[in-house]
Amino acid sequence: MNNEKITDKLYIVFRVLCIAALIVLFVPGFNPARISELVPKTSSVFTCGTSYGTLTQNFLRAFNRGWVGTLTMQMVFGGCLCMIIGFVATAAGGCMSLGTNKLKKLGAIPSVVGTVVALVGCFMINWAANDIQGTPNPDRVVPLKPAMLSLYIVLSVIILVLSVAIFFLLPKVEKEEKCHMETKYQLFLLFLPFLALCIVFSYLPLLGWRYAFFDYKSGETLTMSNFVGFKWFMFLFQNEATRADLVRVLRNTLAMSGLGLATSWCSMAFAIFLCEIKNLKFRRLVQTFTTIPNFISWVLVYAVAFAIFSTDGFVSSLLINAGALESGTNFLMDNSHIWIKMLAWGMWKGLGWNAIIYIAAISGIDQQLYEAASIDGAGRFQKMWNITVPSLVPTFMVLLLMAIAGILSNGMDQYLVFETPYNTNTITVLDLYVYKLGINGGRVPLATVVGMFKSVVSVALLFGANKISKTVRGESII
Amino acid sequence: MAMTKQEKLDQKAEKLYEKKHKNQYRRTPADWTFDILNHAFFLIFTIMCIFPFYYIFINTISDNDLVRKGAINFLPQGIHFKNYVAMFNVNDVGTALLVTVGRTLLGTVLMVMASAFVGYLVTKQEMWGRKIWYRCLVITMYFNAGLIPWYLNMSMLGLTNNFWAYIIPGVVAPYNIILVKTYIESIPGELEESAKIDGASYMTIFRKIIWPLSKPILATIAIFGAVGNWNSFTDSLILMPDAPALHTLQHKLYTYLNAASNLKSVMNSGAGTISGAAATNVLNAKTIKYTISMVTVLPILMVYPFMQRYFEKGIMLGAVKG
Repeated sequence: MNNEKITDKLYIVFRVLCIAALIVLFVPGFNPARISELVPKTSSVFTCGTSYGTLTQNFLRAFNRGWVGTLTMQMVFGGCLCMIIGFVATAAGGCMSLGTNKLKKLGAIPSVVGTVVALVGCFMINWAANDIQGTPNPDRVVPLKPAMLSLYIVLSVIILVLSVAIFFLLPKVEKEEKCHMETKYQLFLLFLPFLALCIVFSYLPLLGWRYAFFDYKSGETLTMSNFVGFKWFMFLFQNEATRADLVRVLRNTLAMSGLGLATSWCSMAFAIFLCEIKNLKFRRLVQTFTTIPNFISWVLVYAVAFAIFSTDGFVSSLLINAGALESGTNFLMDNSHIWIKMLAWGMWKGLGWNAIIYIAAISGIDQQLYEAASIDGAGRFQKMWNITVPSLVPTFMVLLLMAIAGILSNGMDQYLVFETPYNTNTITVLDLYVYKLGINGGRVPLATVVGMFKSVVSVALLFGANKISKTVRGESII
Repeated sequence: MAMTKQEKLDQKAEKLYEKKHKNQYRRTPADWTFDILNHAFFLIFTIMCIFPFYYIFINTISDNDLVRKGAINFLPQGIHFKNYVAMFNVNDVGTALLVTVGRTLLGTVLMVMASAFVGYLVTKQEMWGRKIWYRCLVITMYFNAGLIPWYLNMSMLGLTNNFWAYIIPGVVAPYNIILVKTYIESIPGELEESAKIDGASYMTIFRKIIWPLSKPILATIAIFGAVGNWNSFTDSLILMPDAPALHTLQHKLYTYLNAASNLKSVMNSGAGTISGAAATNVLNAKTIKYTISMVTVLPILMVYPFMQRYFEKGIMLGAVKG
């Protein structure tokens, strides 16, 4: 009984360490394989152990000149691979620990083997690190001491000791005992890989918020020496240039989202009027063709715009043929009324598609309402206004609230493709600004700060909209 | 089939009513003008939606000299398909097409399988910590860290300039998981129960019962996933700066639409692969742009009319939340 309690406690430590071991494999800061400055800074054990090309991408000269032997780097690669395999095996042992006694006992085997393999990997990297110290050209190769190796050794040894201890503390396996696991854990383990993917791609990026507090330039690492606290948050508002940028960008974002909101009733009108067409074939045709633009990318919308409005496009050649123009004009370079134009392209792309939800809602309206109205002498327009529109308002409200929640996120594709040097002042929205600032301009901390503000405000708006929906309609939208 | 008097009378009344009803809203001039304007509006809007594609298409198959002069506006002249042949011979468009098709197929298949499986798992009340994990999935739809942290994360994982960057992040798609989950919950539980009594495991139930029964919803998310993959452009733009061979077709199209220098290199490489004399006739800046546009949009134009009902089903499902 007592033993059982001890093993349960040990298992908690063991599982936490297993998860930690898997995580460190992905963090470039904890990479013992960086035995030289030539190993890329952004590589983790995982990248080093899975892609020999990435590991040795800067080593071409070093190999050719004989500064570093290929064997050394192969040892590093092998070592990383061993650590990955080892820790994965350990984690498998950790998963098996959720089962019955026999499964737990069996699970000790992959754990022990895994840690031993990982230790072998550590040894290989250590050998390579020592080997690279003797390079004939230390100025170029810049050998580094793999300080993080000790972390891996300590992790492996603790896990090894734990699994051996647990193995001996577990009661003996009875002969007729079977390997089994409770259903709830089975289901969880089946779900685990997908959960891990979700965490890696959706939650792990949150770690990137720490870049907002550092004086980071791309390619460098974060150290305490370049920790700047809230400098970038202050900078954003105190620096004249960025403040002006931000005001301009916010104005564009809100203006274009606002125009979108102000015209969101159009798809409802589109649906109502389309349903007034009694010829079903024509209606079907309209519906098919007007929804197509929704399924092409913004790049293709730009290609369409290019074909119609560029110097030698459709409109130009028509006008030349008609004698209205001397030579072709590129209407896309014209930077007036950009907001309206963007709205028009948005409507061209989305109107037909957005109407579908309303069309479905219209077909769900009780026909008796219309019949009753006819008997009471209501005309066609009266019926549209007094029956159809009120029936669609709830749907409209939900979509409107969702749109309000997404007011800051108009996406960057559309504005990126339509941007020209002449209209950049009026077309840059928040998403595009962050992209240009961070990815093109390399000002990572500042762009992260802007992104953080956007994320937080968006979530606040969403919850606000949800709250309104709950109080007004008694239904939540998320 | 003798009708009673009452029924006959009823029918007559109905016909009369219908006639009157019809007359009622066919008569007024306001109705006529409205109907005409309404039809005209939809006709014009439909033409606006479809004409650009037609225009691009006739310009890719017409005589290239006429195209350059801007003479092809409504009808094709001197029909030929050399432009398409030439385009496929240009190396980087070929690879871009391959990359795009590859990511569309692989990405969609993996996403659909994962969504189906996870959607099934999260309906299982007995899973350990089901509520928390499911919430974890759902929250990611409404909240994200932002572009820059996402990019830094991808580069930390070694997913820059790497084909897998197109595939792996898309495998777990929370929205699709919710759709599948909602659908599976509508399947009668007795089916699963009886299979369980017969000794079927979760995997067997999933393979033999859930998967076949949820095919309609899987088709819907597959079609949306495929279109999304085919259209995706920003991931290629941001994640593949040093790997031009991995650029998607959309990204290539964007590059060609923007850069004149690129066009020259295409024309040169085009001249290398097809006979020199024909090259000048086949490829000019305009036709190259139009042809790539057409190559990029054709799959969607071809698939869409057949898959329309799945698309429409998709948006209706979006209105139902789990």
